[in-house]
Amino acid sequence: MAANWAERISAFSRRPSGFLSGTTAEAFLAELLRELRDDRATYSVKILLLSPLCEHPTLLCCSDSVGEETALELMSVFAQCPPKSVQFRCHLLLALTSVLICTSCVKSHSRASLDFLDVLLQIAQDTSDIHTDGSQRPLRAIACECLRELEACCPGLLSQRLELLGGLWQQETSRLHQAYAELYTLVLRNAIYQLTQETGAGAEHLKALLGGNTSAAWEADQESGLASSKDSAILSSLILGPMGTVPTLHTGPDCKELRSVLSTLLDESYLLTPLCQATLLHRLTEVVAMVPGVPPAIFRTHLLRLLGTSEVSLLHATLLLKCAFTDSLFSSEDEAFILKRLVVLSQHLLLSTPEKLFYMDCILHFPENRPISCGDGDETLPVLLTPQLASALVPTVFNDSATLLARFNMLSLVYLEEGEEGQGGQGLAYLYKHLSSLLSMVENGCGRELVVTFFRAAFLFLYYFCHVERYSNDLTKQLCQLYLNHTKLAPHFINLADQTQDRLSESSWSVGLLKALQRVITEAPLTQLTSHDLSRHLKMLARVAEEGEIIQQSTLTFLSSIITPSSSSLCTGGDWRLGNEILRVCRHLLVHPSLDSLLTPLADVLQLLVCHYADMEIQDHARLYYTLLTTLSREKLAGVLAQGMEEGGRQDKKQSLSCLIGEGLTSTLTIQQTERAVFRLIEAPPEPRAGDINSNEVQKGPEEASASMEAYRDQFSDSSFASEITLQYQLVHINSHDSHFDQLFSIRLHFSLTDHHYEELGDISVPCLLRERPSAIVQLTLKPRKPYPTSLHASAIFTSPDGHTWHTTLPDIHVAFQQTFLPLPVPSNWGRGGTLSVFEGLWDEICSESGDSAMSLFCCQLKEAALNTLVEKHFLPFLISDASHKEEFKVLFFLPPRSHILLKVSSEEDAVHFNIATDNWELLSHINSYLLKITSLQEDTLS
Amino acid sequence: MTVRGLWIISHENGGNLSIRFSRRFSTVEHRAKSLAGSSYVAVPEESTFLQLLLTELGLSDSVDVPPDPRPPLASLLSVSQGLTLLAGLQTFLLGSGSKPDSEGLGSRLAMVPSVLLQVCPLGTPLDVPLPGTPTAPTSVGTQKQPAWKTGLHRGRAVVNVGLIETVRSMQYGNRSRQDLWDVYGTVTCKCEVEGVLPNVTVTLSLPPNGSPLQDILVHPCVTSLDSSILTASSVDNYDGSAFSGPYKFPFSPPLEPFRLCSYTSEVPVPPILGSYQLKEEENQLRVSVTLKLHESIKNSFEFCNAHLPFFNRDQMGVVDMKVSSGQLDVSKEKNLLVWVLGQKFPKSREVTMEGKINFSGPTPGPSDPLCTKLTAYVKLHFKVPDMTLSGCYVDQHSVQVYSSAKPRIVTSRELQSKEYYIWNSTGTAPVSSGQMMM
Repeated sequence: MAANWAERISAFSRRPSGFLSGTTAEAFLAELLRELRDDRATYSVKILLLSPLCEHPTLLCCSDSVGEETALELMSVFAQCPPKSVQFRCHLLLALTSVLICTSCVKSHSRASLDFLDVLLQIAQDTSDIHTDGSQRPLRAIACECLRELEACCPGLLSQRLELLGGLWQQETSRLHQAYAELYTLVLRNAIYQLTQETGAGAEHLKALLGGNTSAAWEADQESGLASSKDSAILSSLILGPMGTVPTLHTGPDCKELRSVLSTLLDESYLLTPLCQATLLHRLTEVVAMVPGVPPAIFRTHLLRLLGTSEVSLLHATLLLKCAFTDSLFSSEDEAFILKRLVVLSQHLLLSTPEKLFYMDCILHFPENRPISCGDGDETLPVLLTPQLASALVPTVFNDSATLLARFNMLSLVYLEEGEEGQGGQGLAYLYKHLSSLLSMVENGCGRELVVTFFRAAFLFLYYFCHVERYSNDLTKQLCQLYLNHTKLAPHFINLADQTQDRLSESSWSVGLLKALQRVITEAPLTQLTSHDLSRHLKMLARVAEEGEIIQQSTLTFLSSIITPSSSSLCTGGDWRLGNEILRVCRHLLVHPSLDSLLTPLADVLQLLVCHYADMEIQDHARLYYTLLTTLSREKLAGVLAQGMEEGGRQDKKQSLSCLIGEGLTSTLTIQQTERAVFRLIEAPPEPRAGDINSNEVQKGPEEASASMEAYRDQFSDSSFASEITLQYQLVHINSHDSHFDQLFSIRLHFSLTDHHYEELGDISVPCLLRERPSAIVQLTLKPRKPYPTSLHASAIFTSPDGHTWHTTLPDIHVAFQQTFLPLPVPSNWGRGGTLSVFEGLWDEICSESGDSAMSLFCCQLKEAALNTLVEKHFLPFLISDASHKEEFKVLFFLPPRSHILLKVSSEEDAVHFNIATDNWELLSHINSYLLKITSLQEDTLS
Repeated sequence: MTVRGLWIISHENGGNLSIRFSRRFSTVEHRAKSLAGSSYVAVPEESTFLQLLLTELGLSDSVDVPPDPRPPLASLLSVSQGLTLLAGLQTFLLGSGSKPDSEGLGSRLAMVPSVLLQVCPLGTPLDVPLPGTPTAPTSVGTQKQPAWKTGLHRGRAVVNVGLIETVRSMQYGNRSRQDLWDVYGTVTCKCEVEGVLPNVTVTLSLPPNGSPLQDILVHPCVTSLDSSILTASSVDNYDGSAFSGPYKFPFSPPLEPFRLCSYTSEVPVPPILGSYQLKEEENQLRVSVTLKLHESIKNSFEFCNAHLPFFNRDQMGVVDMKVSSGQLDVSKEKNLLVWVLGQKFPKSREVTMEGKINFSGPTPGPSDPLCTKLTAYVKLHFKVPDMTLSGCYVDQHSVQVYSSAKPRIVTSRELQSKEYYIWNSTGTAPVSSGQMMM
């Protein structure tokens, strides 16, 4: 079984959607929970079982209510789990955190989430193991981490506990102090952020916050504070560079308390792991940025240690510190030093390539004290990065690809700024030489990675230095040579031409390259041409033919000479693929702006294909082009071919079936998922019941009580007798203003069960649902196996007016216990006498039998009037005795398929007694809670 | 400061990719979703992840800042933290070497879930995997135990400080091209000292007139640094007035061995100066190599070998070579000559190799995109115990340990080579650095 679970869990995590299509989320969740409660399963299996809940809680808990229920289940598992299973308990806490956060239970402060919060706080405070073995420390650490995540997802959740958390952090001497410190700083940061959002909050509030005296300070604002956290700014980092604004709290210079807390945190930060130190430093940066009353100089004593570090995250946090405080913390000497440091680190031998690349990125986004540009995320060179300094980062052939390109990019920026004169010119010469050495490596036949690197480097060079003609022209020349020797690189050349054309719209370099390539292709001797080369040449020429500025005569001459059997044998085989490649060039030429001058040679080429090409389809195709060319006007020709050209041409790969069909058709063929529920089912107001026993005064039916019972029982020989309950619902729009869904048609509702107590339901069709019209009535027929309360999942497929088909999920439908009640199913012509004798008969049976039968008594305090109202309101359809007979009401609920609940209700001295008899003892708990509910309602309304 | 998902992918030779482990952090995903709003892009399922990784992975939104405008990486603390976490996991899985053995890898992969429970339970990286299993924390005093210290040492105090200098070089034997060499040093410590937060100070010293140590990087356990230690930088012009030691590093050690600090140094000469000349003659290559050990270098190697590979040629046929010292191993399959110089250079401190190679073998030898025609190199591998090029040393008596028991202190130093190339001066050698152009 364990192995099976391992397999299933791994199948689930590989492809959750695929896995769930084979079962349902509810079923899988139920299975998981059942197994988790099973004592026979080992803890290692149970830990495995928790992973779907940790990783995909929303897939398994489709609604918040399911999330809530699941959380309650998990908490009961947690409560029953022995303390020594620390690992499992840790995973349980993680699963609970995931479920509660992701299903928004935490956000809505649900019962389970509040309970869970208490559990976590209890664990976090429980240091009872400190003098024993410390075995519970991992659990405490995880509890802190869960609290931190809860606070991170719902900022402000723990603001009220700040003092408690601060105390825990200060007392802890084991390694766990780190977990408390992280938690404390996050809560502190969020609490201060909230204060900045309060109008009029100041030093007093801050002091109260730190002292735990929040009730006086801003308890009243707590709710609004939490509400404002939907503003996602609080979730994100507040340090966003020169243009980012940080909300501030005006406290004046007096914030001793905060300052002392921050100093302690900073002094102890040394005791944290580098990753946690970095986080802490960043959080404190945010806090100080928000509270101008605390000077940034508070960080100063730690700077040297941080700047000398070999840890990338610590140095990064320091850069962010610089970003936040610029010259109020860092002098211009500091700035120069940091930049130099970054250059050193970008090429440091002991650092990994990713770290070095990251540092290079940091140079290009260097947080300058006085930035010139507006820091819109573009790469800019810091002013202090001189060519001299940058020369440490020139690319070399010994660099790996990523490093090489990053250096190439940075140095290009440096030399671009310098200009061609002086050092910039020298640098540019170096870069070009470097590019050439890469090119010669490609020429010598290197691996794919190096080829790609070369073309990328070439693109970068052109991107910055396209205007320097002596280089860009030379590059064109070298590239042409490279192409002739390595025609298989054709796709790279086309890509380079495309990219430079796109990105450098003012430059004509791309056209120049294509022109040069056309020349080398058409001028090369045909004798050495292989069919592979030809195919690549044709691809290239097709791309060349897209350029209106390029004269195409030589292309046509080339085509003509390769097709003519006397000059070349390449096409004599009649290869279909090759034929198509020729046709593709022709098609581009058909829409070329200089078509007028190409008319005759192009017609000749097409004619040659028609006559000499040994493939029938190519001939036909060529004939079509020939006809189009010779009969249509230029405009019409362009019109006919335009659409095809858009699809072909530059985006070859788009010629898939879906693309041919087009966007519109595709979307009408697929079922789309609505983002949120569009409509729901609500209980319809009850209709007056016809044929109530009370209204039937005619006394008929069997005389004898025993005969009545027999007749009653006989009815059940038909198994379908009285086996269904029918519930009335209204299908209504959910009140959102998506006018797109105002009119819905062909709605097909599908229901699925959440338990095994009912038979499967059939689908229900509703012709239409229009917002302005009365809602549709939907009759839900349920066939219970056991008449328990239940929930149903509902989904629907419908059509919107634009013809699209949609799938949507409806909110769950809850079937209450009392909805399964039916009046006693007796023939309609029976009078009270008959039903009464069935009642008495059943009562006696239940009294005498044991088995599944049970008797019970429910008591409550109700005034007589209240009792009458209650009977009137809830029991009337089920009343067996005469309504006027107020000493004792006899009530019978029939619950399909076969259960009965009988009540004798009477007012005794002390209380109202509900004597209960049922032939299905499992219903007792349900009837009990039902009675509790209706009687307490009655009390409420009367009191 | 968070991670949305973690995948461990193995890439075997032959391009076989597979996901060996994956973990998603649903609560982080929840945050990403609420922060990104309509521009949210979900993390793809594992089954499609690999393909997307190889083609295009368009996950752009981050958890720390709003996705629009797209923030530069440098503004996301998660990036550097993620790098650290990944590097830590990589070291954990593969060891410090880069070659994974499949058995060990398998067993370590199985430990990843429990490792993540400690270092990244909910997507926020807290630490990198620690070597070995953490010992039970035993601190009960009032002093806080560092989170990076897995336990407390009990027993005899021993402090071990090892200094290794590594020298790299590119020698061209060409007037128009300046030869290059650089040196970097690392100081590795293993400290077995009692106490929650014991104090240790290691001091690096230079001989008189030694050039200052540059680009010093320190381990995060170093408690404080003097600003003068950090001032010298290899990207600066040398300033004669720079601080030149002694360099004091006060720290509180973790239990496991760690790299206390690293530095670079500018030394005036390379330890071994070489020249390499190839001449293409009819069907054969005439080879001439000279190596000269600088007089300041201790003539006592642990080993010293010169490798001469030949690329983009047929396999070697007749090899007719003479060496003035040491011995020559010929590997015809690899087209490689290995000149084993042993422990000592001769008294003259100069060795030569002369001869001819004929590449008449039946099959082509190995190829290389860089080393075509006469572009070729000699690569030196050597190690010299008990010396450094910069002269830097750790005096045993300068190591201070503030603890009750007197510790045993062991120091060592050595010089090793890495990427030590001598290019054929008759061919075009690749440019290896921009320093020379300025």
